[in-house]
Amino acid sequence: MKSSKVDAISLEVFKNLFASVAEEMGVALRRASFSPNIKERLDFSCAVFDSTGRMVAQAAHIPVHLGSMPASVAAALSHFKTLNKGDVVILNDPYRGGTHLPDITMVSPVFSGKKLVFFVASRAHHADVGGMTPGSLPLSTELYQEGIIIPPVKLIEEGNVDKGVMALIAANSRTPDERWGDLDAQLAAHRIGEKRLLAMLEAHGLNRVQDHASALQDYSRRLTEAVISTIPDGVYEFEDALEGDGQQEYLIPIKVTLTVHDSTLTLDFTGSAPQVAGNLNAVEAIVKSAAFYCVRLLAEDDVPVNHGCFLPVIVITPPHSLLNPDFPAGVAVGNTETSQRIVDVILGAFAKALPHRIPAASQGSMNNFTFGGIQNGQPFVYYETIGGGHGGNPQGNGLSARHSHMTNTLNTPIEAVEFALPVRILEYSIREKSGGKGKHRGGDGIRRVYEFLSSATVTFNTERRRLVPYGLQGGKPGRPGKNAVVREDKTEEIVSAKHTTQVNAGDKIIIETPGGGGWGK
Amino acid sequence: MKFVGVDIGGTFTDLVVSDAGKLQIHKLLSTPHNPAEAMLAGLAAVGVTENARISHGSTVATNAILERKGARTALITTQGFRDVLEIGRQNRPVLYALYPQIPPPLIPRKWRYEVPERLDYTGKVLTPLNMKALDKVLDALVEQKIESVAVCFLYSFHNPAHEQKVRQRIVERGILQEWQVSLSYEVLPEFREYERTSTAAVDAYVRPVISRYLQHLEDNLPPQSTLLVMKSDGGVVSSNTARQQAAQTVLSGPAAGVIGAFHVASLAGYDHIITLDMGGTSTDVALCPGTPTRRAETEIDGLPLRIRLLDIETVGAGGGSIARLDAGGALRIGPESAGASPGPVIYGRGGQQMTVSDANAILGRLDAEHFLGGQMPLELSIAESMMGTLAKQMKLSREEAALGIIEIANVNIDRAVRRVSIARGHDPRDFTLMAFGGAGPLHACEIADRLQIPRVLVPRYPGVLCALGLLVADVIRDYGRAVLKPVTDETAQQMKAILGELIRQAQTDLAKEGIPEEAMFFKGRLDMRYQGQSYELTLPMNGNIVRDFHHTHAEIYGHAMPDRVVEIVNLRLQAIGTVEKPTFTPEEVIANDGSSAKIGEKVVYFREGEKSIPLFDRDKLTPGAAFIGPALIFQLDSTTFLPPYWHVRVDSYRNLILESQP
Repeated sequence: MKSSKVDAISLEVFKNLFASVAEEMGVALRRASFSPNIKERLDFSCAVFDSTGRMVAQAAHIPVHLGSMPASVAAALSHFKTLNKGDVVILNDPYRGGTHLPDITMVSPVFSGKKLVFFVASRAHHADVGGMTPGSLPLSTELYQEGIIIPPVKLIEEGNVDKGVMALIAANSRTPDERWGDLDAQLAAHRIGEKRLLAMLEAHGLNRVQDHASALQDYSRRLTEAVISTIPDGVYEFEDALEGDGQQEYLIPIKVTLTVHDSTLTLDFTGSAPQVAGNLNAVEAIVKSAAFYCVRLLAEDDVPVNHGCFLPVIVITPPHSLLNPDFPAGVAVGNTETSQRIVDVILGAFAKALPHRIPAASQGSMNNFTFGGIQNGQPFVYYETIGGGHGGNPQGNGLSARHSHMTNTLNTPIEAVEFALPVRILEYSIREKSGGKGKHRGGDGIRRVYEFLSSATVTFNTERRRLVPYGLQGGKPGRPGKNAVVREDKTEEIVSAKHTTQVNAGDKIIIETPGGGGWGK
Repeated sequence: MKFVGVDIGGTFTDLVVSDAGKLQIHKLLSTPHNPAEAMLAGLAAVGVTENARISHGSTVATNAILERKGARTALITTQGFRDVLEIGRQNRPVLYALYPQIPPPLIPRKWRYEVPERLDYTGKVLTPLNMKALDKVLDALVEQKIESVAVCFLYSFHNPAHEQKVRQRIVERGILQEWQVSLSYEVLPEFREYERTSTAAVDAYVRPVISRYLQHLEDNLPPQSTLLVMKSDGGVVSSNTARQQAAQTVLSGPAAGVIGAFHVASLAGYDHIITLDMGGTSTDVALCPGTPTRRAETEIDGLPLRIRLLDIETVGAGGGSIARLDAGGALRIGPESAGASPGPVIYGRGGQQMTVSDANAILGRLDAEHFLGGQMPLELSIAESMMGTLAKQMKLSREEAALGIIEIANVNIDRAVRRVSIARGHDPRDFTLMAFGGAGPLHACEIADRLQIPRVLVPRYPGVLCALGLLVADVIRDYGRAVLKPVTDETAQQMKAILGELIRQAQTDLAKEGIPEEAMFFKGRLDMRYQGQSYELTLPMNGNIVRDFHHTHAEIYGHAMPDRVVEIVNLRLQAIGTVEKPTFTPEEVIANDGSSAKIGEKVVYFREGEKSIPLFDRDKLTPGAAFIGPALIFQLDSTTFLPPYWHVRVDSYRNLILESQP
């Protein structure tokens, strides 16, 4: 039989094999799903874990899922003493392996004979899981207001689907049919993942496959250490802030102290704001995702994402804080807005160590916009995020009108939005001159105008409406964004960064997203 | 009449001429400054002076896009949406990039014009087209010396009236001719405004370039000759049609190879093949389960292009792909390539990095005396010492390192084969691997082993399959109609009516291409999905379509949802006009052991150690020759590696049929 020896060659071979398992799971999920979030925007990730719950490979479309999927597998493992062949665990509780409630994660074991040898996991952002406002990203003050909380439960037990659990989840959504379809699509991804792993075991033998799973984790650790060693040893600090928690507008600081020592990087967020009353709290898994994302940006080689990547990166978050909140603090947009600001402060600190490598701040928001209501007795729900300007960088101008950092979801085509929802898009354009000036300009933001054809509840969860994305090395900051409502009387009312309101048919919403900061004089 | 296939590649222009059943092959250097030059010179060289049907594939359109050397093109679009082309899907191409970059849009902002007009999602007019505003835009086109125009309005696929009016007005005012205006509903009658705008922009951008190029060719053709042009879907059309469907020709290069491969393989009795076209910088693979398969979307230089094209996966692993050890200690191959210059180290032209070809040479699988007919000396000693250095870093022997380079290149290709087969629900074990391109026959058996593919076919002339494909390609025209309706009792009738309309249109068009009625064939297909999904499955239009849909959905995704409404998104018609094909005459098969073609022995390294293996001259192998590996079979443009436990026989068309021995 084939030897179990690991060398430079077999490492590369197995890297490809594991990656293609995760990749194929994603293809199946996308094509069979119903939520525009999943099928059009690609707000999902799939991954393979070893039998101890350490990640081996991930096909992530979204960096914010990077460090947070392992927490899901850990939660499933700690909750259930034993998992059997044919089990699928489902969860979304941010305090037990989740990030925010719309991200529903499934975890299932893969058995070789009677032995549990791997796990596969999938996470997808479902368009609605209940809660105060359509789209499940409300201006909440506790988790209970954000939607159905799913602790780790078995959706499938030894091959038997618990239709009751499915029905319970679906019934708590404003669009139950869509939930059924999306959950089915996630299950399809798991079937494909299991099938591919079993084929791999058959071809290469269990020992060889498992030896390489752990060798790949070592490999990614080495690559990550190599990246960190390129940063000069030292202590670097940076601070920026969020603008309000949806309950109150005030500055909510995020501070990082970054210590580089040889090939270890410690990110200490002591000095960041205490836990907030609103929906901006971010569980620690999100902070880890952001930290790893920033390290990964510095890598010139393609680093396979797995457990090994996280080892040289130590994250410290103060207890009871914005970045390590206590149950049941609200977390709806900690995942999206807080995560972007964490990146801004980490990169800001990196810029002190590597002034000639780090780009200026990008738009620093995902510009979450949700709306929903009932038209002709039919409920409708919609969620989108909007791109903006990227920071200028040492090599050139920042990109305009694109998603940056912790997200990379696609837009939903206008011709798909209007087909499915009582809304009309009147303008979708690049917001000229919103990028910060500099030797290399920041990219421009986007202007998007909606006209409603039915009454609806709309919710903005945005940032950088007052505090601007910073420039670097003498570059000017980008322009902040704007949210406005135009009522029937044609008055344009500028609303705050986080806002919920009712609109009537004929009312318009205008969203302008921030420009990126400029780089260099 | 002589039939000629001409494939204009980056380095060589290949011609295959069929004259009364006899095949003639000619290869000459390409003339990139004016690709037509090599083609016309080639035609003269092979004595094609009159009465010929010349089928042609070129990279003119592709290069115009890659080098941004297309026409001065403008976009006219719905007010509020001129930036759709630049915003795209608002994502960045690479998730982790410190300095993300995006290729510039084909049409710069200053040439993207908006006019007031608006339809709703059913195609109903909300705001009529503002002719005054349009006229102002048209004035600007004149002032800016615009050469072609793409028109894309929201929902034009439901109601093209506004787009038609724009073209009418442009022509009426004498600003441009009709063919210089691409209407999005004609180029791509489907929803998703960005993809439709982008496809129309590509079309408009390359139309003048293609048109000038074809005109030049036509002006210089031998008398009484016709010119056919290859499209990305593997069919040919008259040059006149090609001008009006320029976007369809953009990725025609690799398509011809697949068509040629499928033709040769079917003739040999194998119609379930996976093609493996391995060249210097990349490898193309495609699945043909009884026929070449097509898909509906691709990208070129980051720009989405939704056209019917052959389902080909390209992977950056070829003979020139560079091997390097990364910071984590894994060996990587490609996608960087040493290209033709400096090329692999063994070429002795200053190459400084180990490539896949170097690994093959070090293992003894290439041979100086026979590489490119012995015209290219191989500098083995430098390659050996450089491989030694790389191997030391990996704590492996030189030969183990070389074997590793080949294994990783093969894994990369293996992954592409899985994407076109397993990921689409096909088992590679049911297929024959058709190997061509300079390096394909060298790697094919080992790739087949990885995927448990039982058989490899190496055609008689692996280097000119593209030109051969051009020679045998049929005329193909595609038609589509957006339907977007749930399936009801009346559906069958409605679809039949639409299909009838499309067939009548197709008959007219094919007749214009010179296809007689008895050579016309039509295939109706439906794009279907569960209401609420965004991706369709395409099914043939016969039998119980709903039952077939549930069945196919279950087959691909593992579940069906019989309670959900099934909707038809598009009706598609493929119209095929079969063309007269050159005949290939089989030769008599006389069993022999191939020894008359044996030209020596050579030491080759295997995982188990070194071994002296026999060498054969491909040109001397006759039909019926059969022997067992290991062996190397040399011919001018390729080398076939027959590993141990593989058996080869030469069939009546002088193809090599390689089969693994259990």
